[in-house]
Amino acid sequence: MKKLKINKYIFLLLPFLFIALTNRVSAQEKEEAVELVKLNYFTVNNGVQYLILENSLKKGRNTEPLKNKVFHFYLNSNTPENLIGKVSTDKNGRAKSFLPPSLKAAWAESSNPTFIAVAVGKEDEIAAELAVSKSKIQLDTLTTDGIRSISVKVMQLTDSVWVPAADVEMKVGVQRLGGILSAGDEETYTTDSSGTATMEFTKDSLPGDQKGNFVLVAKIQENDLYGNLLIEKTVPWGIAVKTDNSFFEQRTLWTTRFRTPIWLLIMAYSIFIGVWGTIIYLITQIVKIKKLGVAVPEEEI
Amino acid sequence: MENSPSLTKDQIIQDLLPQKFGKLGMIWTYSLIFICLIGAFAYYRQLSKGLVVTNMGDYVSWGIYISNFVFFVAISLVGSLITAIFRLSNMKWATPLTRIAEIIAVSAIVFASLIIIIDMGRPDRMLNLFLHGRIQSPIMWDVIVISTYFVISLLLLYLPLLPDLKIMIKFKERSSNILNKLYLFQGSFWRGTAEQFKISERAITILCITIIPVAFSIHTVTSWLFATTYRPGWDSTNFGAYFISGAFLVGAGGVVVAMFVFRKFYKLEKYITEMHFEKMGRIVVMLSLLYLYFNINEYLVPAFKMKSGEEAHLKGLFSGEFALIFWFAILIGMIIPILILVFKKGRKPLPMFIAGIMIVIGAWFKRYLIVTPTLLHPFLPMQDAPAEFHHYFPSWEEWAIAMGTLAGTLLVITFFARIYPIIPIQETITEQDETCMSLPPTKRHE
Repeated sequence: MKKLKINKYIFLLLPFLFIALTNRVSAQEKEEAVELVKLNYFTVNNGVQYLILENSLKKGRNTEPLKNKVFHFYLNSNTPENLIGKVSTDKNGRAKSFLPPSLKAAWAESSNPTFIAVAVGKEDEIAAELAVSKSKIQLDTLTTDGIRSISVKVMQLTDSVWVPAADVEMKVGVQRLGGILSAGDEETYTTDSSGTATMEFTKDSLPGDQKGNFVLVAKIQENDLYGNLLIEKTVPWGIAVKTDNSFFEQRTLWTTRFRTPIWLLIMAYSIFIGVWGTIIYLITQIVKIKKLGVAVPEEEI
Repeated sequence: MENSPSLTKDQIIQDLLPQKFGKLGMIWTYSLIFICLIGAFAYYRQLSKGLVVTNMGDYVSWGIYISNFVFFVAISLVGSLITAIFRLSNMKWATPLTRIAEIIAVSAIVFASLIIIIDMGRPDRMLNLFLHGRIQSPIMWDVIVISTYFVISLLLLYLPLLPDLKIMIKFKERSSNILNKLYLFQGSFWRGTAEQFKISERAITILCITIIPVAFSIHTVTSWLFATTYRPGWDSTNFGAYFISGAFLVGAGGVVVAMFVFRKFYKLEKYITEMHFEKMGRIVVMLSLLYLYFNINEYLVPAFKMKSGEEAHLKGLFSGEFALIFWFAILIGMIIPILILVFKKGRKPLPMFIAGIMIVIGAWFKRYLIVTPTLLHPFLPMQDAPAEFHHYFPSWEEWAIAMGTLAGTLLVITFFARIYPIIPIQETITEQDETCMSLPPTKRHE
């Protein structure tokens, strides 16, 4: 009788066990991990070029950054003389390297440089490759009849000649703490056949720094041909922000000690004087005890 | 003492006069000196190289130095509890514990002041606090209350010592010449006249009344150093009471440990009896429950709301990188001592000693948890900060200095116990006489 009871529970458990096991097997089949390596090229103010590598492991829907992975970056071909640098990924799976001065000549020669990333330990295979067209970006400002406008021109190097780059999408606006505040009503702008994007600056009354300056930026992000380009220009188009000292002469908790609220001073000092007055009184009592003791000869004790 | 009303005056004096250290006492003292010297060397390195030798950074600017400071301020509060509150409420049984409590208070407050100076990269700038101090600044409040509490505690240690100094001067053959000179310097004027006793008693009563609000202020102000800022874990209106309840607990735990050690090594079983442990045990249970109550307030109420700014901080404590220390502090520092002491058998000397040690260690880690995790969870995300800024583990210099100050506190207590009677002799004799007088004539001097 007892044996029969146990069997019944096993039968109840079997379907759950079956579902759990089959789910696990199918989940393992789905979750085949793939290592991703991505190279990004950046130019800031047409002068500073650098590369950022992103290394991650894609497993199902999850992507996890791979840290402490070492890579070599090369320019055009993976030979030692073209080495840009050796980098290691951080905890976000990112590694960064600037173009070294030693590759200045090789960089100047090529209109369409190719960047190559090779993982250390896997020198035979190329982990990532990125070909870009050498490009530059210009930002100009113009004020006509009180209307401010911005003109951004993008050029690309073709056969050693700078030619306009058309249909390039970019963000143009004011650099703020959280990102770029668009100059006009559009989120992004695209260059025309002359490689130029022109927009009216509609953001009036923006606070600037103490002199009324803020930074205009034009940013091309993850363009297939040119990579990431950024140009900045400081303009005096903002409103000068002055510290509001209107309350300074008031007595507040945070002003200087000469302007401390009187009630606070009275309270604090009366407590202080009360307690220290008591302490001084007690010290005088000790002096009194001493005088009493000195007055009584020792043999009288 | 209450258990042994037949002790004679001479016997009490012989038992309670300071004794020379044995081999174990010397090992203990030299070990403490050694730890202090390592701490001094680490501080020398910090002074010469700057705060760069520590692992504090832009985010964790208060590390174990400030945790230690809060710990010292907390433990020093016991002076006001045992000496003042018990004395004013006429709890005579606590008389043998008053001096232990006062010396813990004085030594802890000395090192609380020192560790603040140690935490400053440029200690010479301490002077600026006095030259340009602003009364609105919580740090100024702290400087004022710490110095006030130190002076009052010192007076409360000194005044009841005067009659004992007279006894020690009388038994000068028991001490070295240097010590005898010290006793003469400090108390040669005490004749024990009725007038002197009257002034002294009155002064002690005034001190006991004064020290209570000052003691409450000192730890409330310390809590305000945190609570006046708007940060997860610190932004609380409960902080003053929370700190004071914790301070009474750790102080009482410290006294229990000291009671056990002095009783065992100075052979004071007739003076610090099981009755003292029993009564202190009940007090510690009450204080533990009180502190546990405040902890529930401090953690569960914010956890119920789980505001996004506090979430990372609270999860870090409950199940994140600080979970081990957090649950250690809660279990070892509160819950297990409650479970030990709530039973009568747990209020015997040895279990009390173990519970006391747990409370003190748990309290030290609790102070660390109050100070550091909050700093690692600012409202604005940590961006472009070096990886090491996201975590904090003290450097060896920080450990050495922190341990050096803890050893220093114990060393002050040790030296005090070597030089002065750790149980008030005169008060014990007086109470002995009073107890005898209250007995029927036939029972006296049995």
